[in-house]
Amino acid sequence: CTGEFEETNTNPNEPEVVSPSLLLPNAIQVSADRYWGHSTRYQRLNIDAAMCWIQHIARNIYINSEGDNYEVPVTISSGTWDNVYRNSLVNFESILKLSRPGARYANVNYEGIALVMKAFTYSYLTDVFGPIPYSEALKGTADEPIYSPKYDSMEDIYAGLLADLKLANEKLTVGGPRVDGDILYNGNILRWKKFANSLRLKLANRQAAKKPAESRAIMQEILANPTAFPIFASNSEYAALNHANVIGSRNKMFDVFSTRSDWNISSTLIGKLLELDDPRINAYAKPTPTGEFAGLPNGLTDEAAATFVASTIGDRFLDPSAPSILMTYSELLFVLAEAAFDGDIQGDSQEYLRRAIAASFEQNGLSMPSDYMSRLGTINKEVIMTQKWIALFGQGIEAWTEYRRTGFPVMPAPHPSSIFTNNGVLPTRLEYPLGEYSLNSSNVATGVQLLGGDDTMRTKLWWAE
Amino acid sequence: QGRSISGKVLDENNDPIIGASVLVKGTVKGAATDLDGEFSLSLAEGENILEVSFIGYNKQEVTIGNRSSLSVSLVPDTQALSEVVVTAFGMEREKKALGYTTQSVDGSKLAEARQPNVVNNLAGRIAGVQINSNSMPGSGSHVVIRGSSSVSGNNQPLVVVDGVPLEQTDTRRYGGGLSEINPDNIKEINVLKGATAAALYGSRAANGVIMVTTKDGSGTKGIGVEFNSNVTFDRPLIKPNFQNIYGGGAGYRTWYVDGRNGFDADGIRGTAGVDESWGAPMDGRLVPLWYSAPDRVPLLPQPNNWEQFWETGSAVQNNVAVSGANESGNFRLSLGRLDQQSIMYNNGYFRNNFKINAGYNLTSKLNVTVSAEYVKSGSDNRRYTASSDFIWAHRHTEYDRLRNWEDYYEIQRATFRPGDDYPYANWQHEYFANPYFLQDRYPNANMKDRLVGNIAATYKFTDNLSLMIRSGTDYWSDNRTDVTSVERTKNFVRILGAYTQTNISSQETNSDFILNYNKTFASKFSVNVQAGGINRTNDFVSNAVNVRELTIDGLYNLGNYASPVVPSSEIRRQTVNSVFGATQFGYNNSLFLDITGRNDWSSTLPINANSFFYPSVALSAVITDIFDIQSRVLSFAKVRASLAQVGNDADPYQLRQTFMAQGLWAGTTPTYSEAPTIANRDLKPEITTGREVGLDLRFLNGRIGLDLTYYHQSTTNQILAVAISNASGYQFRTLNAGEVTNQGVEAMLTASVLQNRGGLNWDVSVNFSRNRNLVVELAEGLENYILGSQNSVTSEARIGQPYGTFYGRRYLRSPEGEIVYNNGLPQLEPGTFALGNIQPDWMGGIANDFKYRNFSLGTLIDIRMGGDIFDVGTGLARKTGQYAETAIGREEGVIGQGVKNVGTAENPSFVPNDVVIQAATFWNATNPRNFHEAGIFDGSFVKLREVTFGYTIPQSILGKTFIQGVRVSLVGRNLAMLHRNHPHMDPEVDMKGGNAQGFASGEQPSTRNIGFNLNVTF
Repeated sequence: CTGEFEETNTNPNEPEVVSPSLLLPNAIQVSADRYWGHSTRYQRLNIDAAMCWIQHIARNIYINSEGDNYEVPVTISSGTWDNVYRNSLVNFESILKLSRPGARYANVNYEGIALVMKAFTYSYLTDVFGPIPYSEALKGTADEPIYSPKYDSMEDIYAGLLADLKLANEKLTVGGPRVDGDILYNGNILRWKKFANSLRLKLANRQAAKKPAESRAIMQEILANPTAFPIFASNSEYAALNHANVIGSRNKMFDVFSTRSDWNISSTLIGKLLELDDPRINAYAKPTPTGEFAGLPNGLTDEAAATFVASTIGDRFLDPSAPSILMTYSELLFVLAEAAFDGDIQGDSQEYLRRAIAASFEQNGLSMPSDYMSRLGTINKEVIMTQKWIALFGQGIEAWTEYRRTGFPVMPAPHPSSIFTNNGVLPTRLEYPLGEYSLNSSNVATGVQLLGGDDTMRTKLWWAE
Repeated sequence: QGRSISGKVLDENNDPIIGASVLVKGTVKGAATDLDGEFSLSLAEGENILEVSFIGYNKQEVTIGNRSSLSVSLVPDTQALSEVVVTAFGMEREKKALGYTTQSVDGSKLAEARQPNVVNNLAGRIAGVQINSNSMPGSGSHVVIRGSSSVSGNNQPLVVVDGVPLEQTDTRRYGGGLSEINPDNIKEINVLKGATAAALYGSRAANGVIMVTTKDGSGTKGIGVEFNSNVTFDRPLIKPNFQNIYGGGAGYRTWYVDGRNGFDADGIRGTAGVDESWGAPMDGRLVPLWYSAPDRVPLLPQPNNWEQFWETGSAVQNNVAVSGANESGNFRLSLGRLDQQSIMYNNGYFRNNFKINAGYNLTSKLNVTVSAEYVKSGSDNRRYTASSDFIWAHRHTEYDRLRNWEDYYEIQRATFRPGDDYPYANWQHEYFANPYFLQDRYPNANMKDRLVGNIAATYKFTDNLSLMIRSGTDYWSDNRTDVTSVERTKNFVRILGAYTQTNISSQETNSDFILNYNKTFASKFSVNVQAGGINRTNDFVSNAVNVRELTIDGLYNLGNYASPVVPSSEIRRQTVNSVFGATQFGYNNSLFLDITGRNDWSSTLPINANSFFYPSVALSAVITDIFDIQSRVLSFAKVRASLAQVGNDADPYQLRQTFMAQGLWAGTTPTYSEAPTIANRDLKPEITTGREVGLDLRFLNGRIGLDLTYYHQSTTNQILAVAISNASGYQFRTLNAGEVTNQGVEAMLTASVLQNRGGLNWDVSVNFSRNRNLVVELAEGLENYILGSQNSVTSEARIGQPYGTFYGRRYLRSPEGEIVYNNGLPQLEPGTFALGNIQPDWMGGIANDFKYRNFSLGTLIDIRMGGDIFDVGTGLARKTGQYAETAIGREEGVIGQGVKNVGTAENPSFVPNDVVIQAATFWNATNPRNFHEAGIFDGSFVKLREVTFGYTIPQSILGKTFIQGVRVSLVGRNLAMLHRNHPHMDPEVDMKGGNAQGFASGEQPSTRNIGFNLNVTF
């Protein structure tokens, strides 16, 4: 009488096996979403926290509870952590399992893509939190499962990611096996190789002050052999997820900014753009009803904010099919400008900087004014990083990371009506999610030791210079 | 010509009975016996028969003849002490033989002051049963017996109607199960509380069983017709304590411009997009409001806008039943209709119940019965308020105008900012839509059909041996249409209409056979054996299509899509086969031993480990019989003890790892993702072990009864989807782990305080229960399990704590317990802490029933003491300046009650806080979204739950009409809140349903119901 039990209990709703092509699209989408946009309230790390903290934008209401004054809902931390591990990284891990040699869907190009996206996503996560589970992570259904993974130092994670990116470039084979479900590059393996190597340069540069010899060797390896290690060569090649004007697949900044008007452009960014007479102001911001560009100071009380008339975000970012950017050509050139300035690579720092700024203008549909470089004064690290900050508008988390690493741009004194929490310190990281304390307590304690400071938003991360 | 009669009433020992009732038959004339057991009455012509009665004794009729005095000896009613109760599978058992607790409520108690959801009538009546109800029409209630025992599974009891399980779905909006049963058809509800009572029902009975027995036609003489009509009206019970001084807006300004904080022609920024009430004093100053802008009108307080907003709800229930019986069989047909209107605008529910019960003796040995109910129910709109109307709100809002928004639409439309176009006028357009428009145009409609019933045949081989074969099914299908958007434009973005169509069908079929043998040997030993087998199958299919963009707005047809639709389905199937046996041994009709055993085979467990067995044993000893105690004080005493196990299988499909569909990317690329839960190939059934001892005492010939129970229940091997570190790549892991214990006491006291004293009867019944719950163990390495969360406050099962402990952030306090302020603002202590617990300290009920001649008065007081709720709504309504306390100090500022640190962090020195801060800033800083402690409130209440005042028209008036009886009653439910500690609302809340109890966020208020009931029998 129990003969049909097995059939009765076979899941009619969900499959037990799927191909990598089905896992790839959603995993890419989640990584791009958590880095660039994300629309769920109280989880909008880029829009409500990073873009405000880095003073690209400012809130005009609910300033004290959603991030702008450095007080964050705890779900910003847990939402980011949980979704990146569970909806993005684990699926890249599954693709690696399904496509490795000898596996059911063996395919070096799926392996390579998964390695690149895993490296991109892990670097984002470790740059937000610091030490995180890495070497033991994503093993919940492994043959020897790990449910409470240990934390690894940022140094070790960076070493792993740089090695993975090198391996990815080796695996990725132009003219090799076909891949489907690649919503980033539509199966163009050469572009994946360029992304792998450009990202590897970015990560090497980020750790260059801490591990100069290793980082220089990596940069040297890539730049010396463009055939084996191709990198982005124009704005048409950079890493961005193109959105479609279909519900659920739209640019999340459209989803957020088109339905609510809680944000304005920060007075810090407007001030800098006006000071440089920078035409990118037209791309980033819309004039106020009186036809001027005006900014809103960060961290005001709601009452004080109500007295400001300020610009809102530019239409370019509000198009439902505007891309979610993962890494731009201009970003790569800024990396090279900084590396050259620091002496990590050969080359003319000023020329790299000029090309980086020009690429940023071009990316925004503008031309760089011919005299623009002359407005910058003597080129130094502050000028490079301040320009990078301007170019990273929209990539708030990236700009926040670069600020935390280099201390640039120098932020203006707070407005007298601003009230900042976190002891007035611009957050240096996110606190670990509460879930880790209840579900992975001994490991998170080790993580805090590796962090080298308290689990607060004031402890500086490993690459801080 | 009159005469008189006097007499004396004696008991079996020839002692006088005090307070016995002596009634002249066919009249309301009567007397009670005095201290010597004597009475006297004057008689009219033709009055010749007396009815003599006393509780615990058989009623006796005495013909007077030509006597002028007489003596009556009453015989003890053994039946009274051996009430028959219905136990598992509908088997009737003598109550005195039971080794476990059951408690029943008579159908008449459920019918007069009825609730459309009959389970709500059990609140306060049964010890140990906790019910959280809602005021939404057709809504479900959350029921827990003797505390929650399962960490992640269902904690609600199994519901059984006429021996066959009824699927109980506990969704708040749609109800389902008991909420659909017609109270008019219920003869009795019997609650089996412990594991022993439930051992035979197996798997799902670990949380107790609510057994409903419906009325049949037996006992009817000829053909009987009963008509019942019940009409009640509802208004909110508790009104929050609002402030009526300051209007909506911010910074003492109230100024409507375009609904979204835009600037007017003079460059003045509006406050119309602010959804708080920190605006201008409502002193009659002229300001533009939403219905006048840009023209100005006086800003005036609207202290009664709460009363304006809520409608007068109603419930109208009519029922006709026809029954008949003869020696061969009986039948009862019943037809009922319920129409319910909510206190929420355009929110209602209807229900038609068709019921048949019939039994027929085909031969002297073969009897067949059928019991079936068809229920058609549904609504044009089951949407109720999303709760923000009095939280994120402008205190100056006039809801009458908002309801009639069309009158002001053209005025307001002229103010819409470029790029905006809304199909309604509203007090603001930034975050909220007009609630009346939502209720009209965003309906949640449904139409549901349900058939529940069974057919049974019983064959009596001999007087001692019989076999019953039965098959019952509960099938329902529900067709739901939920509108989620209508066409509008905001920020130049055109948003199209959207809706979801969901069709659900569900069926549970139980087929069983039971062999029954009973025999008494040598007049002292009795044995009663049951053996049987059951097959249960469950089939559930839900198909849903989400049309995210409609071509033609307002046309809700699946073909009317403007972009790809999102279909989904969920299918669940499971089968359980069982065999069971039960034997009861009796000795001298005073000592009883029950032994049961059951074995289940479940499709949801691993094939090689899908069989599990669980036993129970129960003992009942009637001390007064065994030791031959004959006392006028102690008339009956019984002790009982039991030990039982109940096994519970898993939900289907938890054994193998799967991937989840994630829809189409960009409308073209299909995508899947790892499922969030790690499957477990080695699942075992979870086991509940219950122990119970009890004492049943009756005093003074049964006039006073006291029933005491102590129980201890432990649930182990729980099937948990245990949260794990998401860094593992997964959110949950399915495993067997954990132990939760519940132990407690229950006491029931019944007393006949007055028996026909001057014609007055007064019965009191009191119940008390106290449950202590402890999470003893969870999975290895796991210390907490999250049952529910709101704004990062979690209700948890945490080791060493009771189930449902709230964790969140609390105020920083000085060693003396004072809140520590910094710059006038309260500070948070780092980390999370236990803030409270959802479980009450104790519960109780007090029922008083009075009868005087043809009048009756019944009252019920329901008590729940202790237990906390996390009510983010009340905290937010303070943040948004709605409540009276927020009006204090608005002009001059406020000083938080507590201390400030004038020392250092290492060496603190606390002095009273004296920093004046703006009221808005102060209340903002106690926002429970972050200051979780500010949202914790005491859940205690004492409610006057029920009052019924009835009058039965005497036979003498009805005379020889075809009407046999008429009873009219005034009925009231939830009439008064006698005690509460929550400052602004009824703390009986259930926002989320299921195990996530204790949360609230501006719930639809509970209601006071007043009406009448008319019962006519022909």
